[in-house]
Amino acid sequence: MVNEVLFWTVALLTVIPSLALIFAKRPVHIAMSIVLVMVGLAAAYVGMGAPFLGMVQIVVYTGAVMMMFLFVLMLVGVDNAEDLRETIKGQKWIAFAAAGGLAILLIAVIGDATIEPRTGDVVGNPEEIAMVLFSEYVLVMEVLGFLLITAAVGALVLTHVPRLTPRRTQVELQAARVAAGADPVNKPMPGVYARHNALDVPALDPEGNPIEDSVSRVLEVRHQTQDGAEFRAQLEDTDNPDHEARPHGAPSRDSDTRNTREGEEPK
Amino acid sequence: MNFVTPEIAWAPLTPILIVLGTAAVAILIEAFIKSPATRRTVQLTVTIGALLVALGFVIVQWVGLDGSAGDVVMTGKITVDAQSLAWQAMLLVFGILGALLFAARTSDGEDAFTPLGSVPPGSTKERLARRAGLKVTEVFPLLLFAVGGMMLFTCITDLIFLFVALELFSLPLYIMVALARRRRLLSQEAALKYFLLGAFSSAIYLFGAALVYGATTQIDLESIGIAIDFIPNRDGMLLAGAVMVVAGLMFKIGAAPFHSWVPDVYQGAPTPVTAFMGAATKAAATAALVRVMYLAFYPLEWELSWMFWAVAITSMIIGTLAALVQTDIKRMLAYSAVAHAGFILVAFAGLTPEALVALPFYLLTYGLATIGAFAIITQVRERAEDGGIGAEAVRLGQWAGLGKRSPFLAGAMALFLLSFAGIPLTAGFIGKFEVFSAAIAGGAWPLVLVAVIASMVAAFFYVRLIVLMFFTDAPEGADEAIAVETETLTRVVIGITAAAIVILGILPSGVLNIFESAAHLLVSAG
Amino acid sequence: MTAMSFVYLAAILFAIGAAAVLLRRNAIVAFMGVELMLNAANLALVAFAHMYAELDGQIMAFFVLVVAAAEVVVGLAIIIALFRARQTISLDEPAELKG
Repeated sequence: MVNEVLFWTVALLTVIPSLALIFAKRPVHIAMSIVLVMVGLAAAYVGMGAPFLGMVQIVVYTGAVMMMFLFVLMLVGVDNAEDLRETIKGQKWIAFAAAGGLAILLIAVIGDATIEPRTGDVVGNPEEIAMVLFSEYVLVMEVLGFLLITAAVGALVLTHVPRLTPRRTQVELQAARVAAGADPVNKPMPGVYARHNALDVPALDPEGNPIEDSVSRVLEVRHQTQDGAEFRAQLEDTDNPDHEARPHGAPSRDSDTRNTREGEEPK
Repeated sequence: MNFVTPEIAWAPLTPILIVLGTAAVAILIEAFIKSPATRRTVQLTVTIGALLVALGFVIVQWVGLDGSAGDVVMTGKITVDAQSLAWQAMLLVFGILGALLFAARTSDGEDAFTPLGSVPPGSTKERLARRAGLKVTEVFPLLLFAVGGMMLFTCITDLIFLFVALELFSLPLYIMVALARRRRLLSQEAALKYFLLGAFSSAIYLFGAALVYGATTQIDLESIGIAIDFIPNRDGMLLAGAVMVVAGLMFKIGAAPFHSWVPDVYQGAPTPVTAFMGAATKAAATAALVRVMYLAFYPLEWELSWMFWAVAITSMIIGTLAALVQTDIKRMLAYSAVAHAGFILVAFAGLTPEALVALPFYLLTYGLATIGAFAIITQVRERAEDGGIGAEAVRLGQWAGLGKRSPFLAGAMALFLLSFAGIPLTAGFIGKFEVFSAAIAGGAWPLVLVAVIASMVAAFFYVRLIVLMFFTDAPEGADEAIAVETETLTRVVIGITAAAIVILGILPSGVLNIFESAAHLLVSAG
Repeated sequence: MTAMSFVYLAAILFAIGAAAVLLRRNAIVAFMGVELMLNAANLALVAFAHMYAELDGQIMAFFVLVVAAAEVVVGLAIIIALFRARQTISLDEPAELKG
């Protein structure tokens, strides 16, 4: 006998999320729904006298297997919403018909079955399970060991990339760069003019000649550089009425002198 | 509660323990030998050695049986009887031939496997790995795991244990399929397809096993058989369960409509893996199907016969017709494998005792010819642009005029093709004859009629390739475009399989006698 | 209400999983469908074990759990290897293999 409330809870907790497998678009949503299904199944196991199996279900399925699925989904890109267009026409309906037919067939044959439940209460707690596992099923346990070795080796063969080139140290990297002709010191910054976003203007060397290297190569390629002559001219031109102008919003020139502090001799 | 130590007769399991134990040790060898070249030599020696020793133990056990039916290793779990020993010996032979092919290298020193399975095909990293001389020598332990799992598969008498063994030999195969050196993208897609369909079919098998357990309260084959006999009105649940279990096993045999993986996997996998898998998986799955049908589901023979008939006829028709239109030689042999799966299932009609002799013999001849034919495919190569040895020449047209360039290869290929077709004086003829007479003894003459017609149609595309090899002149420039390899290990494999096909075709009585004395399944309860 | 109702539930979940395998072309989603099918079989096994007051069904479900975990490891490894090569995991993207 099983609890009726338990059954309907489990049924709702498993069937509704599992429909995500068919209808949901994003794989991450599907994986999270399946996690819910696994928890529901664990509840069913506990309710049917299999507490150990219920716990293992939580640990192995929700804890390990589904998390592994999520890791791989993250690895291959979570935003990959699946393209639900059909390549084979009518495949969707064939699949629905096949699965629906399978469900109806299975339910029909299960309903047809005559099963006489035996009375008795067997609870699969760890001690009982271990007794059966290591007596009657010990050979299966041992073969499972070989299966796990195979799985581990297989995963390594298909995913582990060993180091193919020797690791390079900082010193080697630096020496290689200098050997390739890189400047050992920093490049000069681009020219600076206060009234212009000056990344596109070359800096000037002490003699007043522009240093072409100081401007980003990208801007050169896009032809977005300027030689700065215009701004230099503005600076040097004392006839320019804006010569003494302050940038917009800047405080007046008076504020350049700071107030005397307490106990300080005024200048 | 007190613990009762289980009674296990370990001795009959010795061959399996040797194979699986060596596989585990071989994994350690991977870790401790750094140089890939040394590792390859050591792994090959260890693998072949273990398989030979295991074969020796199987023979010793066979002699030790001395007419008795066999031993129960653990009641309800494993039974090593004469029938199982015959299958185990066959699988070990396939394993040895497969391992030799795995180790074979072209004249450029390249084997069939990628230097590194984890990097994208054609990438810089792959080139670096090739230059560093890396090798995926893990294929040898994986082969051992697969052989060990298959050997277990032939003697297990418990539906759940059978499921575990099924996965034990399937997982290494999924991995090995993805490791081809050439056309690895194709190989990885094939692995994914094989894996998804394989997992799907094992889920179907498992649900079937659960339904059978629900209907009979038993999980070991003999008790299921007895329980079914006792159930007065057999309900649909039992039948649905049995159908699902059998469908799961038919998937591994590669029968239509469960065959959609066969052409892709045969084509995409590295050819040595195709050779081993094509021969051994079919044999192991047939062995398990025999045990399941003869021990558990024999009372359902009448109810299940429609399924065997339908699947056998579909496989023969689809396999034969699809093979007619293939231009790729690996795909052609793959569809012919589907047709052969149909011939195998023909023998199950009526569940006659004759089938217990016919099936091992048929699988032996088919497996040897398959390994030989795929070994020859590895020897006919395209020339790469830089003059080196390129990929395998798999287009049928590229085989024109092979008879003049390499009479040995073309002659052996012709022999294997004639054996597939079932022409008299080859082993394939005796195999087909045995299978068809078993089916006629089971009263399934319409099925045999279809099978004979299918064989005649199938002969057309086998003969077409023979005509191409011997009576068509090679087109201009073919000598430069196609290179014929002379690799010693592969030649040894081709020689052994060709000799076996001839001997089994002319003097089959010795082997048939062995299989006749092996035609008993040990029933411990009855 | 007997544990038989859980067997019905298992059949429905099994069919939903099968539909996902047949319908979805994202390899990971199809694979999750297979996992759901295996779990449905487990649910059926546990329900039968409860009805028959036996432990065997639970032990079998335990084995299936372990096998499924090993299978997931290999399956996801194949999917990752393929993704590294192709940058997609759709089952019918550039189909090198023809049907």
